[in-house]
Amino acid sequence: MQDDMDHQPGGREPVTSGPGSEKERTPSGDPGDLSGRLSEVENLLRESRARLARAEKMAELGNLVTGIAHEMNTPLASISSTTDTIALALQKLTELIASEFPDEASPARRRLEDALSIAGESLRTSRLACDRILKLVGGLRAFARHDELRMQKADIHEGIENTLAIVAHELKGRIRVVREYGDLPEIECFPDQLNQVFMNLLVNAAQAIEGPGEIRIRTWQDGDTIRISVSDSGSGIPADLTSKVFDSGFTTKKAGEGTGLGLSISNKIVQAHGGRIELEGGAGRGATFTVVLPARLTEERKTNER
Amino acid sequence: MNADTPRPSLLILDDEEIVLTSLRNLFRLQTEYEVIVHSSAQQALESARMRPIDLVISDYLMPDMDGITFLGHFKEIQPQTIRVLLTGYADKENAIRAINQVGLYQYIEKPWENAALLIVVKNGLEKRQLLRTLEEKIAELAKVNTDLKSLQTALIKAFL
Repeated sequence: MQDDMDHQPGGREPVTSGPGSEKERTPSGDPGDLSGRLSEVENLLRESRARLARAEKMAELGNLVTGIAHEMNTPLASISSTTDTIALALQKLTELIASEFPDEASPARRRLEDALSIAGESLRTSRLACDRILKLVGGLRAFARHDELRMQKADIHEGIENTLAIVAHELKGRIRVVREYGDLPEIECFPDQLNQVFMNLLVNAAQAIEGPGEIRIRTWQDGDTIRISVSDSGSGIPADLTSKVFDSGFTTKKAGEGTGLGLSISNKIVQAHGGRIELEGGAGRGATFTVVLPARLTEERKTNER
Repeated sequence: MNADTPRPSLLILDDEEIVLTSLRNLFRLQTEYEVIVHSSAQQALESARMRPIDLVISDYLMPDMDGITFLGHFKEIQPQTIRVLLTGYADKENAIRAINQVGLYQYIEKPWENAALLIVVKNGLEKRQLLRTLEEKIAELAKVNTDLKSLQTALIKAFL
């Protein structure tokens, strides 16, 4: 595989050149050993192609979801507004009925009030349901801010909350989220990219927990850095794997669940911000990932647009 | 509003009927404003040539004309009208740019909150009313000045 380097960027061709280069070396080695290695390499190759395909599919899906979130915005705005308007109209009706039918015990008034109370309660349910969709769509739109590719001041807690709204389905009913938010200054950053980091850490944490559990999010300022830690009550990461978790392509998840790219991308994003991600906790006691970011970016970082 | 002042007039432009209906009903229920709605920019401009409008609300992203261009044309027809842009999140940067470009009074993000929207419109109309009163006072002052001058002239003439 001496020509591995030439093919790495595309990641599609090596399989055709691989067997050829192995054959050339056959005379000098044990054929049985070599064919074993060959199938090993072929397996790895198949796996990484599958991973790449999944990553591409995820990216496509991401674009689709953003598009849908934008399309949903206007109808949702309309539902939200009309729900409030109907509630106000019902309020007026209630007052009108009270003044038109002063006798509280009259059958007409009671029938009208019954109907109004059903309408009112149904509407409150609509309001709650609508608020949930609003939060989700708002989170999705904030998550994928296509128009904000410049560094800007952002509230980290807002980013975490937007991300939590999106991953709610992964946590729902199973995982309790405990927030220990400290005082954080707004920091100069690429908010959408940091959201991607939070998303990764939260999804990883949720997937590390089997059955019910807890995710603890802590934020605090430490000197000239700010820290965001995500701890899970899962099974933890065995010591021999802790050095590998940030490697591109490394995953312990089942096929289809993880791409093995999440943490390596997160790490690159945080490094671009002049920070780092720390990992604590061995097997059996859950994992804590801590994002360390400079509270103030150097001028050089600010101009270093990604 | 005083009984002798006419009802404030609102023009709303959005290509989506669902938005127009939502807004029209909100204003019908909660205010005394006269509300005119249009889903086409051309028709809205026709309407603006026919009658005075106190406040105009326009969507940003529309098929025939974007909201900033529309408000620019509207300003040429009725410069005194208070201009409000209704915009989706993605167009926010454009909206901020438009504040200077067409002298935008305010922009409202979709999805909007009814209560916040009502306050923006109410304050906008108050500003419009104050400006109108100011214009009237200035006109009155000018008239009094003219009267005073002719009186002076008459006085001087009488004594000479």
